[in-house]
Amino acid sequence: MNIIVFIKQVADTEARIIIKNDQKSLEIENKYNMNFFDEFAMEAAIKTKEKFKDSKITACTYGPKRSIEALRTAIAMGADQAFLIDNTNLESDDSLIVAKILSAFARKEGFDLILCGRQAIDDENANVGVMVAEMLGIPHASSVTAFEVVDSRMVRADNEIEGGIESIEVQLPALFTTQKGVNTPRVPLITGVMKAMKAVIPTIDPTTLGLSNEDIDLNSSGIETISLEPPQQRPPVKMIDGETTEDKVRNLVKALKEEAKVL
Amino acid sequence: MASDIMVFVEYKDGNIRKVSLELLTKGQELAKKDGATLYAVIIGFQIQEVAESARAYADKTIIVDNESLNEYRYDTYVSVLEQLVKKYQPSFIFSGSTVTGKDLFPRLAARLNVSIVSDAVGIDFSDNRLKVKKPLYGGKVISWLSFKEGVSPLITFRPNSFSVEKLSLSGEIVEEKIDIFKDQKFNVLSVNKGGIEKVDLQEADFIICGGRGMKGPENFQVLEEIANIMGGRVGASRAVVDSKWREYDDQVGKSGKTVSPKLYIGCGVSGALHHTMGMDTSKIIVAVNKDPNAPIFNYADYGIVDDLFNVLPLLKQELAKSKQDI
Repeated sequence: MNIIVFIKQVADTEARIIIKNDQKSLEIENKYNMNFFDEFAMEAAIKTKEKFKDSKITACTYGPKRSIEALRTAIAMGADQAFLIDNTNLESDDSLIVAKILSAFARKEGFDLILCGRQAIDDENANVGVMVAEMLGIPHASSVTAFEVVDSRMVRADNEIEGGIESIEVQLPALFTTQKGVNTPRVPLITGVMKAMKAVIPTIDPTTLGLSNEDIDLNSSGIETISLEPPQQRPPVKMIDGETTEDKVRNLVKALKEEAKVL
Repeated sequence: MASDIMVFVEYKDGNIRKVSLELLTKGQELAKKDGATLYAVIIGFQIQEVAESARAYADKTIIVDNESLNEYRYDTYVSVLEQLVKKYQPSFIFSGSTVTGKDLFPRLAARLNVSIVSDAVGIDFSDNRLKVKKPLYGGKVISWLSFKEGVSPLITFRPNSFSVEKLSLSGEIVEEKIDIFKDQKFNVLSVNKGGIEKVDLQEADFIICGGRGMKGPENFQVLEEIANIMGGRVGASRAVVDSKWREYDDQVGKSGKTVSPKLYIGCGVSGALHHTMGMDTSKIIVAVNKDPNAPIFNYADYGIVDDLFNVLPLLKQELAKSKQDI
């Protein structure tokens, strides 16, 4: 079984982020990780390979050169090979463009199963996975909380729906986005880390994937960033005083009612 | 040129969901400024009642009523919306950034080959341009986005981004008969909607959230009682969910749900970054913690330093009283 796992390297939640003077670009502290939700996708792929031994796991990302580190993490976890589609000079984060590039890669590489995280924790779009499925004309299930490949043609999964969970059966080839709860991502073993350090990770030029320039060049995005701003600062916290706990609680409720006007 | 707006309306038990009412209210305000048409789209089975409520907001309520649309599926709903968008050609298409919206809209965007912006929190129409506000990096950066001429984007909005007003238009209802495509490769075996009906965490106006300081699952009872009084929801920090004191469905934060209620009360929540990233767009934040140095106080509007097991019963009493006063 050919399994593709699309991952993204994202800024660590603790990374310092500064908005540059042009108010259109960011300076991000050099602290990057594999996207949190993608770890579940990798784990689901590895579990599938443990069951179907002749499977091949391909990790792939569209990103800048530094993303190669996230691909090494994927190999350390258990991916057989990895590819970096280099976005240098084409740094669009438009979901439509990214999905076109990733689906072109999948078409070229061939696949039975595609996995990726529910969303990237930097732009929080949760778009690309589902869009890739549509572009490839295959079914998808998003935010799966249980996942099992039954045989070479069928996956059984649970996915989140409004107010609950549904159990589904999906014919392969298909795409699934993973979320917390589906499994417990493994910590790479030292042998995996050694393998990842030595692995040769090929770089792919996105213009060689058979897409037209109109689809992927910098001007093809329909979205324009007008400005980036820091979030509005909250005024400093007001500590509610009082001689007794009763007083404090009474003063709090009074403030919520009369000052904040939320009661 | 008038910029018509189409809103994908979600409903539950015959009532339009709050997030959809927010979008209809905002959509009508934008459409009116521009002399444009606001379309409400309702898809499902036996949805007359929902359509009647939508008329008050929309210039035109389009319904597609078919037994095969009774439960949401991305394949059937995308095929319906695709045809409606092609027929009515709205300039902007809105949905809530809900479980359904997040599943449906990216698929629809790819089908239509148009741009999509997800999880927006604001919108502004000026100089003949629509601008959308969207947080990045867990709210550390706020971006304002716009669209190129001729692009008719799909936009999903986080619940509680706009206020709901009661409108009283009486727009027309148009029923469309549409070919529905169902993908035989995707089969639903069973649906489990849980036992107790809870307010949707992302739509809740009031969230009282418990952290590790709650000490154990049994102590969440008083939070449930307070949430009931306020018509809101109990939330939980990651540590609490990881300890299995609460379900994942309750988790607020980066790896859980992003919420922006009117009032958020954190009880025994330390305020780790991955938690505050999921709640710092709340209107008012209250923190109760016995540690005066807990980081959550840096994000709060009001703070109480005290033992929360003394605070909570009193808070329940006072909130119940304040509800009775109204």
